[in-house]
Amino acid sequence: MKRSLFDKIWDAHVVDELPGGNALVFMDLVVAHEITTPPGAIAIEKEFDDELYEPDRIVAMIDHVAPAKDAATALQAQTVRTWAKRQGIRFHDIGNNGICHVLVPERGYVTPGMSVCCGDSHTCTLGALGAFALGIGTTAQAGAMLAGCLILQRPKVMRIEITGELPADATAKDLTLSVIATIGFRGGTGYVLEYTGSAVRALNMEQRMTLCNMAIEAGATTGIIAADATTAAYLAATPAAPAGWTALQADDDAEYAATVTIDGSAIRPVVSWGTNPGENAPVDGAVPADAPAESLAYMDLRPGQALRSIAIDQAFIGSCTNSRIGDLRAAAAVLRGQQVSVPTIITPGSQAVRRQAEREGLHDIFQDAGALWTHSSCGPCLGMSMGVLAAGTRCVSSSNRNFPGRMGDGGRVHLAAPAVVAASAILGRIASPSEITSREVVLA
Amino acid sequence: MTGTRHMIVEGTVLPIPRANIDTDQIIPAHYLTRIDADGMGEHLFEGMPDGADLLARHPGAAIIVTGENFGCGSSREHAAWALLGRGFRAVIAPSFARIFHENAYNNGVVPVILPQETVDALMSAQTIAIDVAGETLRADGAEPIAFALDPLRKQFVLGGGFLKYLHAKIPAVRAWEAAR
Repeated sequence: MKRSLFDKIWDAHVVDELPGGNALVFMDLVVAHEITTPPGAIAIEKEFDDELYEPDRIVAMIDHVAPAKDAATALQAQTVRTWAKRQGIRFHDIGNNGICHVLVPERGYVTPGMSVCCGDSHTCTLGALGAFALGIGTTAQAGAMLAGCLILQRPKVMRIEITGELPADATAKDLTLSVIATIGFRGGTGYVLEYTGSAVRALNMEQRMTLCNMAIEAGATTGIIAADATTAAYLAATPAAPAGWTALQADDDAEYAATVTIDGSAIRPVVSWGTNPGENAPVDGAVPADAPAESLAYMDLRPGQALRSIAIDQAFIGSCTNSRIGDLRAAAAVLRGQQVSVPTIITPGSQAVRRQAEREGLHDIFQDAGALWTHSSCGPCLGMSMGVLAAGTRCVSSSNRNFPGRMGDGGRVHLAAPAVVAASAILGRIASPSEITSREVVLA
Repeated sequence: MTGTRHMIVEGTVLPIPRANIDTDQIIPAHYLTRIDADGMGEHLFEGMPDGADLLARHPGAAIIVTGENFGCGSSREHAAWALLGRGFRAVIAPSFARIFHENAYNNGVVPVILPQETVDALMSAQTIAIDVAGETLRADGAEPIAFALDPLRKQFVLGGGFLKYLHAKIPAVRAWEAAR
């Protein structure tokens, strides 16, 4: 049978078939952060003599609340810190850390064809490297650390071809939001999304990570993109510079359970208006006439309202979706010489990204514009530490989730690409980057 | 990570007639600051706009009946712990998000999948009794309705032991890896 890329990786990792259509699937790498790892690590310590399958197959970091904000989060960090040291696990402590889905690829820990899991839903990000990478719960992660395997039902594969070429003002964020709007917020459930097509091939690695990052927001098990020369060049430049991997490809006439084709040239800069990421529309457009009343009630919007008329209270650029150097450059291109008019938080995805941004002087552009330039963490994205929204306030954010209460109880989130967030921060309302460019012309 | 397991789950119903109840609504991230599974129940549904009201109107409920894609979003197993901590032992829905679905099994929250029209009918039930082992349920004493659990994971929802099950696989995994 002709196989998809995902099929080939799956087949190469099945240790055993289990009852009920389940499989025992080997995990080449387990990524462990301080929020979801401690209960599992403690369970293994207490019930299984602290014996891990292979500590070398684990990489750990502090990323969600970095540094600790209180005694409880300090204990989470300390638990992972002492566990990693005791077990000889690669560990990235504050100062040398980053959001797991930013740090793991930039260090070269993942190569094409690998299987990777983490107690974090956005692990699908790593599918950008041609790996099978998925988010799981704490107990499943503990199982992978204990026995090297997950128990999984084999997902179906949906081939998503993005044809043509993205317009100059459309980004990978706009593409991934458009994919979710096309297949539906739960349209990917039970599937791996195998992205292909000329518009995907043209994306750099960071952009591919943004695309795969939000596969979970369509309910998908993960997203995946076949490795190519872009992947190889990216990996060669990482500190680990891994070698010896093979770039698997889907067979030409592989069979897929579903196929979706999207015209890349029709992708527009978009922003979410509702309470799930699929509820989005072009920045230049309006809230749809048929938008669910419940979403609009939470968001305090009405059908037909122009999106660019929506005033905001905060802006955030960061998260595992859009916090890499390319994202910061895009934001800086808009913010250069401008002033933000609402509180604006810019959080690099890793300390390595932060240092690169500072070498390029981006931190000066941000701070000259009045934005807050922070150290790396998951930050405001999940309302867990800094930058939490007050009830009833509205934030334009480069992150991945606009669920009710996501960034703070009662807070409202509009998802967009970094350049749209930057333009919105300047104008104090949802805005298109082209408005800033044209304003410059007017001022001149 | 191991709640009390129940062969029979019986209790009153909390209906949430909406799809896409995400884990941020079930337990907001700012409560994910413990190194154990305790203390989540008191914050259940604090991220849901009408969560407190729903819980207040259905005191002592043990079974949630809700729409498609329950538990979507974040992988936080805290969502299952919060449900358990508040006394919920089962969720009946047309579908579950993948990660929550596994978390429910691993923690003894019975995830019952039934067609939308059946779920709609159960929204108005007062009491539901679920025979977990027999894979049937009865609403207000009506005729039994059959459902299907994952044949492998059923043992985990009934008796826990997920990690013990995997632990027993280690020799096979090592042999597989050596031959890889």
